[in-house]
Amino acid sequence: MKRSLIFLLLLTFLQCSKDLSPFGGEPEVTTLNPRLKPEWPNPNWKVVPPESVGVSTNKLKLAEEYAFTRTGDETDRKGRRTDALVILRNGKLIYEKYARNFSEDKVHLTWSVSKSILQTMYGIAVKAGLVKLDDPGYYHYEPLSRDEAHKKITIRHLLNMSSGLAAEEGYESGPLKSSVIAMLYTRGRKDMGSFCAGLPLRAEPGTQVYYSSCDTNILSAILKKVYGVEEYDKLPFEKIFKPLGITNVTFERDGSGTYIGSSYLYMTAKDLAKIGYLYLNDGVWNGERLLPEGWVQFTRTPAPGYKTTPYSEDLAEDNYTAHWYANTGVPERGIHEPWPDAPKDTFAGLGHWGQMLYVIPSLDLIIVRFGDDREKAFIKNDFLKLVKESVIR
Amino acid sequence: MKRKISVILSLLFLFILFWAQWNWKHLSSFPSIISSFYSKEYCSCYFVMQLSEEQCHDFARQWVPISEFKLDKENTSVTVKGLGRTNTAKYLSKEYGCTLVTE
Repeated sequence: MKRSLIFLLLLTFLQCSKDLSPFGGEPEVTTLNPRLKPEWPNPNWKVVPPESVGVSTNKLKLAEEYAFTRTGDETDRKGRRTDALVILRNGKLIYEKYARNFSEDKVHLTWSVSKSILQTMYGIAVKAGLVKLDDPGYYHYEPLSRDEAHKKITIRHLLNMSSGLAAEEGYESGPLKSSVIAMLYTRGRKDMGSFCAGLPLRAEPGTQVYYSSCDTNILSAILKKVYGVEEYDKLPFEKIFKPLGITNVTFERDGSGTYIGSSYLYMTAKDLAKIGYLYLNDGVWNGERLLPEGWVQFTRTPAPGYKTTPYSEDLAEDNYTAHWYANTGVPERGIHEPWPDAPKDTFAGLGHWGQMLYVIPSLDLIIVRFGDDREKAFIKNDFLKLVKESVIR
Repeated sequence: MKRKISVILSLLFLFILFWAQWNWKHLSSFPSIISSFYSKEYCSCYFVMQLSEEQCHDFARQWVPISEFKLDKENTSVTVKGLGRTNTAKYLSKEYGCTLVTE
């Protein structure tokens, strides 16, 4: 009895310290090519037939059929349920369609795509010299100074989803202990940043990638301290949306007036495409640099914490970068590209229930897809393959 | 036999008691999830995304049904009761959308 107990304990111990040795080389992140003559939507996108920019209308129909054909029961909220699809090539609008009562002027909940726009707010703060990526969070935000371990969490760690905070990012799967549900709807809703900063640590900051809405809302709370309430209230509207000509937008806040950067930004599909276009142009908009040099490269590089994140089955699903996703794979951890049939340089902002903003520099494509998928019926790789195949030159 | 069963039952009861105490902070806030989720998501669906009342019920519906629902168009608020708890979400403005206001 005693022996088998020791054996079991040993086995558990071995499981805990799974292999961390490198699997291969560094992830390959090519730099963006400078775009010679970008089109700027002033105030709106120029609409052209797909063929005029080298895209086959007939083949694009297949992507449309994939996105808009109901495959499940509407009352049970099953199957593929697309609300909007917008596609741009060479900075021009080639495809636009809405369903389920949405239209071009209705904003849609972007869920976690909000995280990628919160990251844009950081690009702006870094460019203004107000924060540095390697600043410990507590320099700006007192709740992160609760002990020496929490003091090690930097802004870069938070952007890389590597704070080490013991969050539980379960929605429907495990509502009881989900810290994201507690943060949004119950114990944390009055002040999400301080609720999240109060979580214990599960790992040394920077060493493990764990996707967490808490990391984003701490970042949002840090910005409120950095700018001060008055300027912070106007920040996304004045510094991002206004320069891009975006006026129809809603960004919800928690009980303490902190933007819920993890979840609650509402935009139209064509306006969200403008965010994609800003990143496709390396952070430059209409000749003016909004994001610092190297920011988009940082956006496209997988989180360094992957190198020391213990291997698990879930790990292979995504390549988190700095609040965006990449299609590079992380060879060092045996992680392949999440969308193998899409170009390797594809990067994206993605959200709950099927919200998607794809940027594909090598094909000069931007795709925005909004939906209300309650199950995993919309296969991103299958859809991206169809869009890629519609490009004829 | 009877004694055995009662021992097992009391052990099970003790286990549940310990588990509940251990998880009390999660358990005590849990019932509020139903009404806060429904009121917040319905409020944003109706006032921010401007979808129909029927569509918004479909959007906010969960596995656990709610017991009371009130959409106050005049005050731009949504109040929902579920699992014995009541929550209200209020639409503030175009910029800032809805937020939970009760408690």
